Amino acid sequence: MSDALPTKPTMVTISINGKEVQAKPGTILVEAAAQAGIEIPIFCYEPRLGPPIGACRMCLVEVEGMRGLQTACSTPVAPDMVVHTNNEAAATAQDGVLELLLANHPLDCPVCDKGGECPLQDRTFKFGPGETRFVEPKRHFPKPLDLSTEVAIDRERCIACFRCIRFSQDVSEDGQLGFQERGAGTEVATFSGEPYESRFSGNIIDLCPVGALTSIPYRFVSRPWDVQNAPSVCGLCPVGCNTELTMREGETKRTTGRPNPNMTVEEGWLCDKGRWGYPAAWSADRILRPLVRDANGTMVETSLEAAVDAAARLIAASSATQILVGAASTVEDGFLAQELAAVLPNAAASRLGFPDSADLEPLRALPRAELSDIDTAGAVAVVGGDVTNRHPIVELRLRKLVRNRGALAMVGPRTSPLDARATFGARTAPGQLSSGLAVLAAALEGASAPLIIWDEADLANEPAAAAELARIATAAGARQIELAVDVNGRGLRALGLPCQTAPVAAGALVAVNADPLESPGAMAWADAIDGVGAIIAVATHRSAITERADVVLPTLMHHEVEGVLVSTTGRAQRLRPGSRGPREAAAAWELLIALSHRTGTPLPFRTPAQAFAAVAAARPPFAGLSYSVVGDEGAPTTHVAQSSAPQRSTDAVGDGIALVVTTEIFGDAVSWRSDALVSRRTPAHLVLAPQQAATLGLVQDQRARVSSPFGTCILPVVVDAQAPEGAAFVAMGPPASGTSALLAGEQVPVNVMIEVAE
Amino acid sequence: MTAADIKAHIDPIRHEYADGRSLVLPALKYAQTEQGWLPPEALAAVAEATGYSQAYVESVASFYDRLYLEPVGKRVVSVCITLSCMLRGSDELIEGMCEHLGVEHSHGAVTTPDGAITIQEAQCLGACDKAPCIQVDAENTIGPLGQSEANALLDELRAADRPRELWR
Ligand code: SF4
Ligand code: FES
Ligand code: FES
Repeated sequence: MSDALPTKPTMVTISINGKEVQAKPGTILVEAAAQAGIEIPIFCYEPRLGPPIGACRMCLVEVEGMRGLQTACSTPVAPDMVVHTNNEAAATAQDGVLELLLANHPLDCPVCDKGGECPLQDRTFKFGPGETRFVEPKRHFPKPLDLSTEVAIDRERCIACFRCIRFSQDVSEDGQLGFQERGAGTEVATFSGEPYESRFSGNIIDLCPVGALTSIPYRFVSRPWDVQNAPSVCGLCPVGCNTELTMREGETKRTTGRPNPNMTVEEGWLCDKGRWGYPAAWSADRILRPLVRDANGTMVETSLEAAVDAAARLIAASSATQILVGAASTVEDGFLAQELAAVLPNAAASRLGFPDSADLEPLRALPRAELSDIDTAGAVAVVGGDVTNRHPIVELRLRKLVRNRGALAMVGPRTSPLDARATFGARTAPGQLSSGLAVLAAALEGASAPLIIWDEADLANEPAAAAELARIATAAGARQIELAVDVNGRGLRALGLPCQTAPVAAGALVAVNADPLESPGAMAWADAIDGVGAIIAVATHRSAITERADVVLPTLMHHEVEGVLVSTTGRAQRLRPGSRGPREAAAAWELLIALSHRTGTPLPFRTPAQAFAAVAAARPPFAGLSYSVVGDEGAPTTHVAQSSAPQRSTDAVGDGIALVVTTEIFGDAVSWRSDALVSRRTPAHLVLAPQQAATLGLVQDQRARVSSPFGTCILPVVVDAQAPEGAAFVAMGPPASGTSALLAGEQVPVNVMIEVAE
Repeated sequence: MTAADIKAHIDPIRHEYADGRSLVLPALKYAQTEQGWLPPEALAAVAEATGYSQAYVESVASFYDRLYLEPVGKRVVSVCITLSCMLRGSDELIEGMCEHLGVEHSHGAVTTPDGAITIQEAQCLGACDKAPCIQVDAENTIGPLGQSEANALLDELRAADRPRELWR
């Protein structure tokens, strides 16, 4: 690509409404006009959905010398073109198109969720007729139907622009939406009226230029003039999609894609978990009040002041203090934990999550790519992982790659809906990634701008494959994208926070959004926890650690705080609060600073911005960054080699068959807490291939006892003909499922014994 | 009808269509010959045979009046109601035919309770010179047609055996 000769770098000069406009050859008129500050009205035009289709006729303009009017959304600029977007011919046509679109439109704006932020409304005001001449009865459909449990469709409002259908057919490629009937009777529908089932269904709500598709959880909740919107990022997976949070009365009422999508990251798409995770803020197990254990050992509610004091006293009275931050904590929280540990006597800070691995250094040292680079790659090799469930938006990019005729190679033990789209895929046995790599080399060789996408956990557990993959990528000149395990694992690692893989024994434990009793290594922690002197839990929701804690400090979720997360591709991106959160809760950064004051060793920070400035000064990966540099779009961190990362032990421990850890997109804590995702939740379960199940004497839905050297849990069995034989695929489920008992804190490969549970 | 049957029908004519999507139509018409209409399973088979999504196939099928997504009679009689035919009495003709069959005239399609005949309104059949005219399934257009001739034709259709393949 880059070495192609610059063919026509020259600009084309055209005239739009008498204004001279320069545009790159090939620019679509709508875009050229927008660059010159001229709005041409559109409905169906949406470049993220693929080539223009000219369905709505809203964008008619006059081009001198061309017969009839042209659709500006599908007409590229040509030298010396003279365009009129608002002369009489164009204006009459635009007015006419709107009058026709409105002829059958119910004009029920006063009761429509879209009212006030509706392109149809806005364009009618600006370009349309003030009145209708249509006196005949309008078409009628029964009022909204549920297209799915989250999306409602009001067919009377639809203007048949095809956007939702193109998303379903051409972007998420779920193929479920289509138009039925024709003419005025045209309606968006699924095959046989089945519910629309897609991991990305909510995007059609953002795309619909009218009020035909609306969010059921947001139904009648607010009006655009009653809300404030905050640009933020989703903190539910390491991709870090840019979001917009809609706040009313201090609460987040909605999450949408940004109106100005971040084309480098998510392109404006969100997965349904990111879109409808915010109601987890109101789940029954949310911690609303600070709690302190009294002399009788019972937890009593108290004020935040009193609880912070109690926590500080416990810390002061302890011989040692361990501050443990969770894997989704912000950079500021991690940094303040380090700073607090530095000023407290005999204290240390560490993180919970996937351990560092020196073996990944050769991969991390390769030139880094962004998700947008997938679009233009000639070939992409995905090694390990499960993007569909763990990095959902990456799936959409990979689908686009294939539509762009790039080659997609998939290697790894887990099945994927992308397998059908892959140029070639190799299902490797657990621990055998290397066996699939030879074919990869062939796919990457000679391809333009090749990329490798590799899974942190899978490659950390197979150092030989990591080394081999790095060699292949180097030979092919490929750049790399890491699929990180933890939401902010990259950010916390870049701070130099060591990973806590074994329980701490004595003193005080401050667990900040971290529950070691519900994480890998849970059994070892359970054994050791009685030896811990005092437990202070900074947490959003109740969990095993808050039950054991001496002090519980309620804290805020990602959509309620300010802070920075580092995405899977290494971009630092800002969270901004779209909610005040519970009255008695405070951000973790604030609680850490408060604790520093109450322990008599005050830290010199008062805001997360100050803390982040200190991070930039003190931690080389963040050098040069600040809140303003990170801005709304994010900015890359710098990779700094970790010379001190420990060597992992990667031999599988235990007898039996290999355990492959999987995650379901709607199987995590947020999905189980958000009442908007009730119909999507998946519990922890065990997936076995048919032969494997038969050998073990297990059938579908039966309960199996799964035991590793670390612990045991009981799981329902799913027999899946697609799954490779010879392995146990354990979908981890939400934290309290008990599945983490099977793993060690080191997250080394394990084998499990499986038997029928009585 | 299975996807394999449909594939066997469209494969030999594939070269006649520049765009694979155009093949959906002959595939649907063929799939309909078995039951005379397209139940969801038939649409699914067409989707499988052509490689397009079920929603897309259903969307194509729902566009055309001669592709039926609900059960219709053994024979389908389309009565033209467009201008030429209307001026020559098609309104009365269709009323009379419905009366003869003992069914209520509707603007859509109406089927006799015994499932023998469906009467439906059609737009211009391209045989204005034969107005008023009707078409039986995909056979020749017949006209001009008086009421008694039309009724006799209906009786004849009712008595005849079901065609092996229901092309319509
Ligand atoms: S529902 Fe909305 S997005 Fe879909 S076709 Fe109708 S107007 Fe367009
Ligand atoms: S925006 Fe151009 S035809 Fe719809
Ligand atoms: S109007 Fe009836 S055939 Fe043309």
